[in-house]
Amino acid sequence: MTSINTTAAGVEIEDLDVSFGDTHVLKGANLSIEPGEFFAFLGPSGSGKSTLLRAIAGFGPTPSGRILIGGEEVAHLPPWKRNVGMVFQSYALWPHMTVRRNVAFGLEERKLPSREIATRVDAVLEMVGLLDLAERRPAQLSGGQQQRIALARTLVVEPRVLLLDEPLSNLDANLRIQMRRELRELQQKLRLTTIFVTHDQEEANTTSDRMAVLNDGVIQQVGAPMELYDNPANLFVATFLGTANVLKGLVEDTDDGAQFNSVDGVPIPLHTKERGPRSLVFRPQNVAIAPANAPVDSDRVRIAGTVCHMEFLGSIIRYGVSVGADTALVDDQHRRGAPVFAIGDEVNLFLQKDQVTTLKN
Amino acid sequence: MGSVFAPGQRGPALAGGLIALFLLLFLLVPMAQVVVVAFQDPNTGAPTLINFVDFFKTSLFQESFINSFYVAAMSVVLSSLFALPLAYFTTRFNFGGALLIQTLGIIPLIMPPFVGAVAMALLFGANGSVNLLLDEWFGFTIPFMEGLNGVIFVESIHYFPFILINLSAALNNIDRAMEESAQNLGASGTRLFRRIVFPLAMPGYVAGAALVFIKVFDDLGTPLLLNINNMLAPQAYLRITSIGISDPMGYVISVILVAFSLLSLWVSLLALRGKDYATLQKGGGGLMRRDLRNWEKIGCYAVVILILLLVLSPHLGLLLLSFGTIWSFSVLPDAYTIDHYVTVFSEASGYITNTLLYAGLAALFDVIIGTGIAYIVWRTGLPGRKWLDYGATAALAVPGVVIGIGYLRTYHGINVPIADQPLASWWVIIVVALTIRRLPYALRACVAALQQVSVMLEEAAENLGATKGRTVWRIVVPLMSGGILAGFVTSFATASVELSATLMLVAVDSDAPLAYGIYEFMQSAAGRGPGAALGVIGVVFVGLGTYISHRIIERGRVTLESTAIVAEGAAA
Amino acid sequence: MKHVLFGTVVAIGLALASFQVQAVEGTLTIVTSYPKDTTGTFKAAFEKKYPNVKVEMLKKKTTAGIKYLQETAGSNTSDMFWASAPDAFEVLKGDDLLVKYQLKVKGIPEKVGAFPINDPDGYYKGFAASGYGIMWNTRYLKAKKLPTPAEWSDLKKPVYHGHVGMSAPSRSGTTHLTVETLLQGKGWEKGWAEWKAIAGNFKTVTERSFGVPDGVNSGQFGVGIVIDFFGLSSKASGFPVDYRYPTVTTLVPANIALVKNGPNPEAAGAFIEFLLSGEGQELLLDPKIRRLPVNPATYAKAPAGFPNPFKDSSIGSAVKFDLALSKSRYNVINSLFDVMITYRLDDLRDTTKAIQDAEAAMAGKSNDKAATLIAQAKALVNQVPVDAATASKQEFNAVFKKKRKKATTKVEGRQAEIEQDWDTMVKGNYAKAKSLAEKAKSML
Repeated sequence: MTSINTTAAGVEIEDLDVSFGDTHVLKGANLSIEPGEFFAFLGPSGSGKSTLLRAIAGFGPTPSGRILIGGEEVAHLPPWKRNVGMVFQSYALWPHMTVRRNVAFGLEERKLPSREIATRVDAVLEMVGLLDLAERRPAQLSGGQQQRIALARTLVVEPRVLLLDEPLSNLDANLRIQMRRELRELQQKLRLTTIFVTHDQEEANTTSDRMAVLNDGVIQQVGAPMELYDNPANLFVATFLGTANVLKGLVEDTDDGAQFNSVDGVPIPLHTKERGPRSLVFRPQNVAIAPANAPVDSDRVRIAGTVCHMEFLGSIIRYGVSVGADTALVDDQHRRGAPVFAIGDEVNLFLQKDQVTTLKN
Repeated sequence: MGSVFAPGQRGPALAGGLIALFLLLFLLVPMAQVVVVAFQDPNTGAPTLINFVDFFKTSLFQESFINSFYVAAMSVVLSSLFALPLAYFTTRFNFGGALLIQTLGIIPLIMPPFVGAVAMALLFGANGSVNLLLDEWFGFTIPFMEGLNGVIFVESIHYFPFILINLSAALNNIDRAMEESAQNLGASGTRLFRRIVFPLAMPGYVAGAALVFIKVFDDLGTPLLLNINNMLAPQAYLRITSIGISDPMGYVISVILVAFSLLSLWVSLLALRGKDYATLQKGGGGLMRRDLRNWEKIGCYAVVILILLLVLSPHLGLLLLSFGTIWSFSVLPDAYTIDHYVTVFSEASGYITNTLLYAGLAALFDVIIGTGIAYIVWRTGLPGRKWLDYGATAALAVPGVVIGIGYLRTYHGINVPIADQPLASWWVIIVVALTIRRLPYALRACVAALQQVSVMLEEAAENLGATKGRTVWRIVVPLMSGGILAGFVTSFATASVELSATLMLVAVDSDAPLAYGIYEFMQSAAGRGPGAALGVIGVVFVGLGTYISHRIIERGRVTLESTAIVAEGAAA
Repeated sequence: MKHVLFGTVVAIGLALASFQVQAVEGTLTIVTSYPKDTTGTFKAAFEKKYPNVKVEMLKKKTTAGIKYLQETAGSNTSDMFWASAPDAFEVLKGDDLLVKYQLKVKGIPEKVGAFPINDPDGYYKGFAASGYGIMWNTRYLKAKKLPTPAEWSDLKKPVYHGHVGMSAPSRSGTTHLTVETLLQGKGWEKGWAEWKAIAGNFKTVTERSFGVPDGVNSGQFGVGIVIDFFGLSSKASGFPVDYRYPTVTTLVPANIALVKNGPNPEAAGAFIEFLLSGEGQELLLDPKIRRLPVNPATYAKAPAGFPNPFKDSSIGSAVKFDLALSKSRYNVINSLFDVMITYRLDDLRDTTKAIQDAEAAMAGKSNDKAATLIAQAKALVNQVPVDAATASKQEFNAVFKKKRKKATTKVEGRQAEIEQDWDTMVKGNYAKAKSLAEKAKSML
């Protein structure tokens, strides 16, 4: 049973620019979010992700460009006429009102009959499981409870889009995992278009259907989480999503086809048509580590190096291997009794050619 | 919070004892010396409550009580009408000159009310400039200054900055998300203000309004200058100072004034209990500042300028008076001259030096004592600590003339060794009187500042080996600096215009402060212009001092905010 | 140490050289209610004459000055008290805070007008005369088309309704004397009736005596009942005001006295002598001061048109002022004025307006019933809660004083109680009178 009847709306962002005075914080954003999609804005702080979210809600400086919600142009509308629900990072529960009054607020603003308000408030509090706390003040609630009330307060008005601004950042680690699952389930149940701002890629990966990675006011790449991880469009995306080894150098023609020569002159043959200065990117888990005298496999690229540090992380051992002046990280599956390299050991790294990406610097 | 007898409490206990002793010696004892008459049978001298029975049976006093209450309540309403738009526009919109507006909004505090009343009568009186013009053009006049209206008008203009300061601070402390979440849920405009913004700023507003209410209820200068007798404070004053008559009712009224003021204070604290919203959270404080459309901007500026013109009218009047030759039954002075400034020029420097010295010292002592009391009340478990707060706050309600007479009665017999003169006629006693009279302002500012400092920051310092005293000095005081400076400014500005206690205590002319000097000039027909010139000079000096302190506060707040964010980040 | 010795030697030398004159030096502290214009002029002139004396003028309102001297009597630091109202000096004398002084200057007559210049007991000395009169703002009168008032009775006229200002006798000693003068001149009942009729036209009762000239100068009200130097000095300062003495007035001396146990009695004596010397008396003619000298010879140097009470018998001589009578009912009059006029001014003004309106409607008509009602209304307004005999009774006066001469003086009742009774009666009378007057008007 759901008491919330929402009609999912898509969100289109076209050439959106936002400036705070002389500071250009969002530069020509273009984005298309499908109805019912769970979409994440991911990026470091100062990347413009919150600004973009707030622009959709109608907060912050007036942007240039277009924002369409369900096909309707909203950029000129004040926040209170947009019917997009937003849950704030600090929850922003009003301390002078009880939980019930907080949740009823939006419905009262919509001038609903008081009987309907009461039923809907009860229903949504029931849904988040906090009906018995209705008469409390926000200060008397725990962080998780406050979070749910903030969500209930937003959902009860049946918004066209749900905006979540780092909603989990004020919770402790266990609660965060639980809440993100609940959020996802709720979103699936309601089929509500949801935009989620976070700087935590794990949160974005686990909850969202698609996501946009932002940096420096620019949308770097849009796509499903795995797609972005596997095929980053640029160095920023590659390094921001998970751990990546980056070797800088030049892709040149040789007799056998393309070859990457790192700055230190380590040659790595590649399958690529690109030429010129490039960065070679590969993930630590896609590299095999072997003793220096191990046989060479022609399918794989061999890189010689020296172990310079080692971390035991439980399921894996992460080695740092000096390759020329660079250090490559290598994850080795840990099995009981398997040999472990020591710092200073000469090793060979084996890299499958299809697991390597070349990106422009 | 520590336990009652924790070893770390020895320092605070000593400080608390010293403050209590100070309050006892310079507030309670002198006051008791004066008001004891209220509890004596006028015919036999035996202790009795008959005088209080008389008070409540006397219709004149009943009316006076109602009038005082009415004037105080209406002054709160009118002050709010002045303060609300100024506070709201400058904290909520991107508004050119917001700092200037805020500073100008505090200027009315630094004009002695009796000087303001003179200027106001010339501008708004029955035959003042405004009414002369109205009469000439439209054939009617508005009784701005008639009867209680005049008192309400003058008091509101003088005291509204209390609401402005407190309300602006409260509005600045509201988490922006509080407002945005309401907008997100469909609220806007006045509904948003009424349902969210104002309730959240309520603690600041009530604190300011309570201060206005009490000050107006107890003020005697303004009604006396406007010749309004049927109010409590003037009744007390008239009866205490009448030649030859020794009516205990004057002292009875003083006791009632003190009691009623404490009652109002208590009620306001009760109303605020549990509403102390520490709404400043991560993500930046302060309301969202919105850009205004052009026509909105024009409207806002029109309102702001109108209010500023109104509240600064005493200053404009004073300026005209100081440059005018003769100003009598006319819209403007007959001609202009700088003679008045020439007249006072040689004497002004003495008055100004004295004023800056006295008010500066008093404000300094006030913030030191205020910080001490705030810390003891809110951070220690010392028994009876609340009484320090009550005691210091009670000074708000003690009429200046009672303090003045009390000091003379208590300390004239005590000789100061080095200065070789009686304590009551040594200039330092004026500083002490000002310190006591302005302590409540500084105390409230210090308490507010302390409440915004997380206990955790202190615990961190103690954990790293700092003693209580070192912690207060190195952590608490720096973090409170914005509030302490605000308290200093308020105490300083208001102390520099104090007259009622100083009139009684100035023992030699060369010790006299500015307000006293202006008063002296204004007691003769020829002295009105020079008095006004002295007033203008004083306002300029004190205003400059206030503005500079304000700038320091603004700068202090920026650093303080970044510290607070770091601290919150560490706590999260 | 050398300096002190040297100073002493010089002082002794000087003292020997002018063997009659005592060494006059040090600081002279004078508690005064006078404005800077007056005190500054005298301070400068005196210090010029006695370069070793530094004069400290301690400016206090008369009432505050008395309190100050009372409270500081234990370790007195003041030498002199210098103010207008003789009654203020009476209070200090009564509290044993003054010392007698034997004047050396010659040429000061016994009386000015009907009032003795010096305290018969020898404690305080008159140095200038002041008379009460009427002051008006010429622009105001012109704009409101009001005639120029000449006599107290003019101020009763309906044309002045809401245009007159005065201070209260409990606030200002000189105002008290004006009230008392009229009461003595007209008798208790008629005197109060006259005051109430005038007060019915009041715009305000000011808290300070300076409030009256201030109000007239700035045009807040048109006509003020003021002491002469306020009117004269305002006019001299350029304000569009004028002043005149009505027929029934009294001249009262403004005074100075030595405070008991003052630190510098020699300088204090020198100051009194200076004040009353030809030189000091002449300073009073300064346009910013404008007080009437008590030395008749000084008037020779006065500007044309300066009033001379020693020549012009119309000033202040119509009433034989009975000082003993005044003293006997001093506090009762202060209290009565406040209860009947100051605190009930709004009621009195409304009632007076109603009576004036009714009388205006009566003009030229004859209606006995209405005339009776108006007469009744007037009688109600004029009723005084105590008669002249009671007002002067010692026991009755004692209610208004905390300090009584003798512990055996019997006191019945408390001031608050008595004033409440008076107030009930006065307020009721005014209300009744108003309705009677309105009824009378409705009949016309």
